[in-house]
Amino acid sequence: MARIRRVLIANRGEIAVRVLRTLRELDIASIAVYSEPDRAALHVLLADEAYPIGPGPAAESYLNQTKILEVAREARADAIHPGYGFFAENAGFARACAEAGIVFIGPRPETIATLGDKLAAREVARAAGVPLVPGTPGPVASLDLARDAAKALGYPLMLKAAAGGGGKGLRIVRDDAELQTAWSLTRGEARSAFGDDQVYLERAIERPRHVEAQILADASGRVAFLGERECSVQRRHQKLLEETPSPGFTPDQRGASRTPRAASPPTSATSTPEPSSSSSTRTAAFYFLEVNTRLQVEHPVTEMVTRLDLVAEQIRIAEGDSLSFDAPPTPNGWSMEARVIAEDPLSGFIPSTGRIERLRLPSGPGVRNDAGIYRGYEIPVYYDSLLSKLVVWAPDRERARRRLARALDEFVLEGVHNNLAFHRWLVTHPEFAAGHLSTKFLDDHFKPTSLAPSADALDVAVVAAALHAREERSRVTLPVPPNGRAERSAWRWADRRRAGGGARR
Amino acid sequence: MKFWVTLENRDAEVEFQTHGDQVWLEFDGRRLQADFHRLPDGEVYSLIVNGRSHEVRVSPMTDRLEVTLRGSTFPVEVRNPLERILQSTTRAQTATRGETIAAPMPGLVVAVRVKAGDTVTAGQAVAVVEAMKMQNELTARHDGVVSDVLVAPGQSVSAGQPLFRLKPSPT
Repeated sequence: MARIRRVLIANRGEIAVRVLRTLRELDIASIAVYSEPDRAALHVLLADEAYPIGPGPAAESYLNQTKILEVAREARADAIHPGYGFFAENAGFARACAEAGIVFIGPRPETIATLGDKLAAREVARAAGVPLVPGTPGPVASLDLARDAAKALGYPLMLKAAAGGGGKGLRIVRDDAELQTAWSLTRGEARSAFGDDQVYLERAIERPRHVEAQILADASGRVAFLGERECSVQRRHQKLLEETPSPGFTPDQRGASRTPRAASPPTSATSTPEPSSSSSTRTAAFYFLEVNTRLQVEHPVTEMVTRLDLVAEQIRIAEGDSLSFDAPPTPNGWSMEARVIAEDPLSGFIPSTGRIERLRLPSGPGVRNDAGIYRGYEIPVYYDSLLSKLVVWAPDRERARRRLARALDEFVLEGVHNNLAFHRWLVTHPEFAAGHLSTKFLDDHFKPTSLAPSADALDVAVVAAALHAREERSRVTLPVPPNGRAERSAWRWADRRRAGGGARR
Repeated sequence: MKFWVTLENRDAEVEFQTHGDQVWLEFDGRRLQADFHRLPDGEVYSLIVNGRSHEVRVSPMTDRLEVTLRGSTFPVEVRNPLERILQSTTRAQTATRGETIAAPMPGLVVAVRVKAGDTVTAGQAVAVVEAMKMQNELTARHDGVVSDVLVAPGQSVSAGQPLFRLKPSPT
């Protein structure tokens, strides 16, 4: 296959920037696309070329297949990198790329289709001998059949959309009454989010850990296992902090989780599917959960310990090359990633928008920032609220944790609500430090008062406000004019609005 | 110089003393040395309190300051003692409907902005009083009509001395 020289990135934000960086290093032309509100986004500023694709709503721009393929043809792109989200796991898009003579940097369409269907993926896993969470073998056709299945499996259960993903279209049910309520809600959600209302039942695991295995496979069918990622710290089924290796994952378990993967069928052996397994902390059993056939948000932690560039590997694979290594590198050290998100942890983590008024990214030894923002940048309302990923590396977990805490302390981000204070709380929590993680970590430990400011912080705020007032007085008080008529007053210094700030100097 | 600082329902009196270049604060029974240095960032300061270094942002809002410290934002109200006295004075007057505007502290009346019979609205300046080498605008706290003007420009006044009487606005 011919070398890839020009790549269109069908994405935005931090992941578009991440992909672009590798393209630069490989001397491949980077082609950005942008919606109207993204005209000044970082990926547009950094790209070699950039083309508009439509209005703000994703459906009219980043999910406009016709427009993106048209831009790709006009810009003479050899390949399209989908990033994650948008078209990353869309078999139809991958197929359309192939038909347009453009390489889709990712698995073959049939692999995406098979593994993207949760039930089909379970079948693949079953055939490969991977343990599955007990559940119905296929979709459940009616509420009555669901009740029968529930009786056989035993509550609590998860009601899941066959086409689900990203935490959408799943509900925990604890009895028949909850099942009845969840039945129509989940199907309705699945229909509107995925256009497919098939659902199935699976036993709910009470305090599971969410652990993923990173695999890479080339066109020759060679599959490499690049270690696991612990992704248990979540809220509403969305990850907040990830690390590798997983604390409390023994070398034996690592071996066991790896064996069936090596036996995975050739259908999954085209690019970078990532099986996620879920394992209970108490029983230490692990079960197949799903396969994500794309670059994951948290791939940098794997890169930090393997010293590989996964985007560069994806490009090699897309060119028909073999993987860049004979044996997968032995993971070295420990890496953690904190997702810096525009949201308010004190108001139920609701997303926030606004302008980045101040930004100072942490740096120093072992620190990596995958950011999609800059100072002055206005966060559009249309897209994901992930602003930046703060990634650290250190020789062991405790040092990685301390390094992350240090970097979070350095991080200055003002103008939008964000979860930095939450992350500071998290990484200094004794249970986190001990590696006692589960997807219920927040339910178990997080209260809004967890982020209450210390008495010291309040003192500093009082002192700062008083000093500011004192400075303002000395600045705005005019010398008393001879006629005794001063127009400006220090009296009302606090009434002056921000707009009047220019007068302060 | 003294300030009243209100943060999260907590009132604190902060008193400043200057010794050469050094600024000391007395606050909650403690005496702290502080160095306050404005950064090129504008609203951002480096604040060193008893040797401990902090980076804070102080943003003036309409009726308060917002202090941002390590990502947390605190609404803070700062008043000088005159304002505080004035507030309690006017609060006392509110009960009788109508208002007496009194001098919050000893000073010199440098300007009188209203005359008897004028209609004033809440927040409107009625006089300027110079005290501690600073000029302070006195404002009406409520809407009303000026019934008596008890001072003239150039007059020295003592703390609490009535300067104006206001009647409630006819409705």
